[in-house]
Amino acid sequence: MVVILETKDLSYSYPDGTLALEDINITIQKGKKIAFVGRNGSGKSTLFMTLNGTHRPKKGEVLFHGKPLKYDSKSLREVRKSVGIVFQNSDDQIFAPTIYQDVAFGPTNLDYPKDKVAKIVHDTLEYVGLTHLKDKPPHHLSGGQKKRVAIAGVVAMDPEVIVLDEPLSNLDPVGADEVMDLLNELNYFGKTIIISTHDVDLAYGWADYVFLMNDRKVISEGTPEEIFRQTEKLKEAYLKRPITLEIYDEIRKRGIARASKPPRDIPDLVHTLRPQNLMWVDVPPEVKEGETINMGILYGEFAQDSMYEAANCKVLHKHEDGLAIVEMGRKPLRAGSISIYDTSAYDNEELLQVLKNDGIECVGAMGKKSKIVAERDEIYLHVTSGVIDRSILNALSGQRCLILTHGGMVDHALERINGYIEKSGINLHVGVVNGDSDNGNGKGSC
Amino acid sequence: MTYILDDYAILSPLRYRNNWLKLAIVTFGILAGVSSSSPFVPFTIALCMSFATIFFGKVPPKFYFKILAVPAGFVLVSIVIIAFFFGEGANLFEFDIFGYTLGVSSQGLNMALLILARTISGMSCLFFLSLTTPMIELFAVLKAAKLPDSFVEIAMMMYRYIFVFLDVAMGIRYAQTVRLGYRDFKTSFRSMVMLGTNLFIRSWEQGEKLYLSMNSRCYDGKMIMYDEKRPVKMPEMLLTGAYFAIVLVVFWLTRGISFI
Repeated sequence: MVVILETKDLSYSYPDGTLALEDINITIQKGKKIAFVGRNGSGKSTLFMTLNGTHRPKKGEVLFHGKPLKYDSKSLREVRKSVGIVFQNSDDQIFAPTIYQDVAFGPTNLDYPKDKVAKIVHDTLEYVGLTHLKDKPPHHLSGGQKKRVAIAGVVAMDPEVIVLDEPLSNLDPVGADEVMDLLNELNYFGKTIIISTHDVDLAYGWADYVFLMNDRKVISEGTPEEIFRQTEKLKEAYLKRPITLEIYDEIRKRGIARASKPPRDIPDLVHTLRPQNLMWVDVPPEVKEGETINMGILYGEFAQDSMYEAANCKVLHKHEDGLAIVEMGRKPLRAGSISIYDTSAYDNEELLQVLKNDGIECVGAMGKKSKIVAERDEIYLHVTSGVIDRSILNALSGQRCLILTHGGMVDHALERINGYIEKSGINLHVGVVNGDSDNGNGKGSC
Repeated sequence: MTYILDDYAILSPLRYRNNWLKLAIVTFGILAGVSSSSPFVPFTIALCMSFATIFFGKVPPKFYFKILAVPAGFVLVSIVIIAFFFGEGANLFEFDIFGYTLGVSSQGLNMALLILARTISGMSCLFFLSLTTPMIELFAVLKAAKLPDSFVEIAMMMYRYIFVFLDVAMGIRYAQTVRLGYRDFKTSFRSMVMLGTNLFIRSWEQGEKLYLSMNSRCYDGKMIMYDEKRPVKMPEMLLTGAYFAIVLVVFWLTRGISFI
């Protein structure tokens, strides 16, 4: 693993003498998704400002690619080209009168020729799905759009590391999801993404590696699974545990989840559920032990949308008051499938054909570009946020799902779904349905 | 959301026409209106410009007349005074008030009408420009007019942050209002002072953040201009030509003719 950024005994104090960072030793590996988690005022933003040389540390040093940061203007330009910062408040960052000018700001100052700047801006805006707004002034944009402009302004400089300070603050859920999709795609193309957040759920589900910060110091670091199990450390940092973990612990205490690796997202959590084989039910008085009773009604009440159907139950033991322990004979219905449609090779007729022939019941779109395509051609989207998770869950309950996406997110989605298949052992049929990238790795249904 | 002139200009279909053509039309209108000695020319210009703004620029007529009513109100008051106190010769009509004789001479009436016509035509020309050409388009024009780079850049940033501070100011004002900050004269005064102080501090802080964020993106004294190439199309050329011709013909025909 290549280390891209490193700090050694870093301390920083504000001009008025207040200590803001104390003995920070961190190592950031290339191509990872990193989250700094801590409450407000724990020093996350200040640390980010030292990473691109804006703040000069009082003690210690920052190393970029193993070389200590120098603070003359030429070296600073170098590091700022490679470490892009997206500020928490987009209005601090977007200062040009039009979107186009703002995204062009970085490349212009890197002395690129005019037509190269135009090409970069055009590509970047298309990439974040804002081409139609390029000649609008920033105050005509919504919060989510402004955030994407701010990210585009940094991406246009093609940095190796993108640092985002509280990227999801003040965004609505779908807007937040679009920003996260964007970050995942950028990460897929090899960018190291660093975010700060106090949203433990976000950090837990998204990050590869987590730094826990409190009171000017990094108090713990590790994979999300390690970090968020340290209840004491979390308490010390004034944070709480992710909701997925809370639920998992509660259901495990009640014996309806099996012990496994802590689940990181909803599909993981669902997978830990222990199938209920034995249960107490009310039975009619004439039923005897050893008999089989039809419990078809349970399908609707207890196993809604499940891939299993509780058809018949065998009565194992009968109590006097009409209660009996029964064993469910579950039989699988059908497993669903997830198809991925690459919208970079989009053809409306072909897509409609796919929707019809494959009997798709649930369509989701990931990434702004695909959503715009779907909206334009009036394709009804069942899922617009958390698309991969939702599609896995729907496929588990027997639906045939289609994800519309493009570019690097196609491979990202395939990777995520195949990862789930491997981890859970449940075979879902997954594959890309169009384009030449014929990696329809038919896993077969169970 | 309150719409200001600039917002109409940004959404205007005429925004995507050549800026220099629009400037030429407006300059021509103002010059012709001012140099004409009869009120017919400015009236013609006012009619054409208002028609262009409403019909081609798709500005809601109600809004257009509302903003035109402001200068029109001023000028109506002043021309009444001009009509009574200027000009010599026989009075068209007169009346006595407290022993003074107030009258309107034909010369005074002509002058009043001319001033009314010139003002309305000048305003309609300026509204045509400001309702169809947003500030962001004019920066490139400023630059092409050889204004210093730093002047244009500062203007661009000021333009951007006017809206940020407008938002902040409106937010603070609202927060003050809901806590009865504008209950009477004394509290209003206090609240206004606080709002002003706060905005000053905010703009100072914003300036520092701006500096940080520009540096983070390698600021090197360069800012790109928003300079779309928009060649003048044939229909626009013809329409402008026709407009110029009409105005010039009216100018020629009404030479020395006065209204009354």
